[in-house]
Amino acid sequence: MDPQQPEPVSYLCGDCGAENTLKPGDVIQCRECGYRILYKKRTRRIVQYEAR
Amino acid sequence: MEHGSLTDSTSSTFSIMDEDHTLANSARFVLNQDPRVAFCGYTIPHPSEKKVNIRLQTTGDAAKDVLKDALQNLMIMCQHVRGTMDTAVVNHRAKNAAEEMDVDQN
Amino acid sequence: MPKKGTKSKKEKVDDVPNEQENKLPDYLELQRTRVVCNADAPIHTQGFQYSGAFAAMGIDNSVSVDKFCKNFKIEINRLTEDYMEFDMIGIDASIANAFRRILISEVPTMAIEKVFMADNNSVIADEVLSHRLGLIPLDADPRLFEYISENDVPNERNTIVYKLHVSCPKNSQRITVKSSELEWLPEGSQLSMSAPAQSGDKQKTFTSFSQSQKEILEKPLGVKYKDITIARLGPGQAIELEAHAVKGTGNVHAKWSPVATAWYRMLPEVVILKEVEGPQAEELVNKCRVNVFDIEDLANGGKRAVVARPRACTLCRECVMGPNEKQVELRRVRDHFIFTIESTGSMPPEVLFTEAVKILEEKCARVISELS
Repeated sequence: MDPQQPEPVSYLCGDCGAENTLKPGDVIQCRECGYRILYKKRTRRIVQYEAR
Repeated sequence: MEHGSLTDSTSSTFSIMDEDHTLANSARFVLNQDPRVAFCGYTIPHPSEKKVNIRLQTTGDAAKDVLKDALQNLMIMCQHVRGTMDTAVVNHRAKNAAEEMDVDQN
Repeated sequence: MPKKGTKSKKEKVDDVPNEQENKLPDYLELQRTRVVCNADAPIHTQGFQYSGAFAAMGIDNSVSVDKFCKNFKIEINRLTEDYMEFDMIGIDASIANAFRRILISEVPTMAIEKVFMADNNSVIADEVLSHRLGLIPLDADPRLFEYISENDVPNERNTIVYKLHVSCPKNSQRITVKSSELEWLPEGSQLSMSAPAQSGDKQKTFTSFSQSQKEILEKPLGVKYKDITIARLGPGQAIELEAHAVKGTGNVHAKWSPVATAWYRMLPEVVILKEVEGPQAEELVNKCRVNVFDIEDLANGGKRAVVARPRACTLCRECVMGPNEKQVELRRVRDHFIFTIESTGSMPPEVLFTEAVKILEEKCARVISELS
């Protein structure tokens, strides 16, 4: 666990789908194509559903 | 749970929890077949509640005993149904196996 | 009500069955044993169940258990792995209906209840996918498993674990995920509940299997029908999940119902009241959509309508509508049921019926013990 900042989170570009790791304070822009809309990835936690 | 009068044991209402038409209608039918029964009926006070009230009035025997006998008769009938079904399945399979053999021989 | 028995006279030959002194008149016998289906509505639907119904006539209407056991018959028409059609003769509608109700809602089955989603980037939402998984019929005998309640730990006696891990490679066509991709895990859950605190082998998973289910069960567990479409994946999409199946009954959720459905109908009886001859006979035969009637050629060259296949009657009432109402009477035999059971595969239909009867017995036993 990083005491200073949370771990760098990777986001997906809306256009080309490339992974971009961003830290707090970075410019929000895809590194490859420059698209400015980035999506957060699905959580790694296991979600439980009832099959009803 | 039996709701009856203390002096008259021939008529009472049996309130059964966690039951519905499945058991109550069958029990009512078997009770009506018994010659000791003067009146028998069932009702479900509210459909959201799983409770059934069976009203039983007999010609002289204690209502509890008559109900117990009727349920035991129902159990005997069920066992007979099961036995008959098992025999019927065995016979059906044997008959079909025999027919298949005949077809093969032809 | 004293039973009207027969007095055994020594001069009577025992071949002839002893008849009661009084017998019901025909119209009452019809009312007692048949439901008459008129053009507008059926009549005599209730029947005389009360033992003293004919007390004023001196006839005993009570039926003892011995009489029932003597007259009860079962005839099987069709029996396959998942479909059974049989006739039950000599039983009342209330008990036949009890069997039907128990078959639909109280015979237990195994079905997927908890879905642990590790990854899903398909177009099917998580909860929709879980709902679909719950409805898949599983090939597991519920009698080998126990119920699980809220506080119980899932172990090999009460849970079946399945895994689904599919992905569609990039640059390929869309793939369809079928139920055959569900993989049975006999050793229990493989997903870990939390990041392992200590290094080493110990990892807490979602189930605690003390032994592999392969040793307890004879044949491998799987799904019954391998071609059920669960989801469709486009290139680059993947699904990774684990599903736990538990024992339950149909009254909680329909996925636990062991029958596709079970139903019964009463044996139809079609009676021609007045002779139907000539062109009217042809008309009658053509009216019936399921060919209940047939033409019989008479000696003098005329034609007559006869009833050939009453069992096929669907009660469409075409033959009793219109100007020829009084020619035909449609009836149902009150104590003869044509029962059909379609199983979804967990147990063969004859076993399902036997289980349903056992459950009715257990209900009676429970009430008896409550009364004592």
